[in-house]
Amino acid sequence: MHLTEPLEQAASEIENQVLPQLKLAKTKLVNLDAQVTTYIRANPGRCLLGAVAAGYLIGKIARRK
Amino acid sequence: MKTEENSSHASNGQHDALGSEAPLITVGQRIDRICDATQTAWKGGCEAVSEFKSVMDIDGRVDRNPYAMMAAAAGSGYVLGGGIFSPLTARIVGLGLRLGLRLAAVPFIQRELLGAVEVARESRTESLSHPAQ
Repeated sequence: MHLTEPLEQAASEIENQVLPQLKLAKTKLVNLDAQVTTYIRANPGRCLLGAVAAGYLIGKIARRK
Repeated sequence: MKTEENSSHASNGQHDALGSEAPLITVGQRIDRICDATQTAWKGGCEAVSEFKSVMDIDGRVDRNPYAMMAAAAGSGYVLGGGIFSPLTARIVGLGLRLGLRLAAVPFIQRELLGAVEVARESRTESLSHPAQ
């Protein structure tokens, strides 16, 4: 029991430090996902054309190498 | 060019090769015609695009799977850009195949190992139950 107590304390400290950051990152990612999907749904043609153009450029660059 | 010729011929009372009098078209009228033709072509193009979108249900597909449609569009662009026979594609395909084979092989190896362990355990219990043989 005595050996495990410091380990448990360290684990709980790490959890206390990391968990809020993880929650914040998750919230930010969820918000970003919502923003991106909303923009894509609002402008489907522009986004698709942009994706095709981006893929075309990547294909051109990949072909040159 | 031809307009001026036609106007000069018509003013002299001459006719063209077919015998009919050439219609008088000024430069302004010609520009109007070009504008009309351009507008018609633009309208036709817009109608074709909207018809294609409605037939393929692009908006609905984007609405349902936005990321998948973006990935498909980027893949189409990549193929159009000629990237399909490039070293990058070969590397990506190789990595995917390697990963897929490993993922497929893991359950097979696990099953084989479990079978081998089971056989070894059975033979061991059998030898313990019949030590004289």
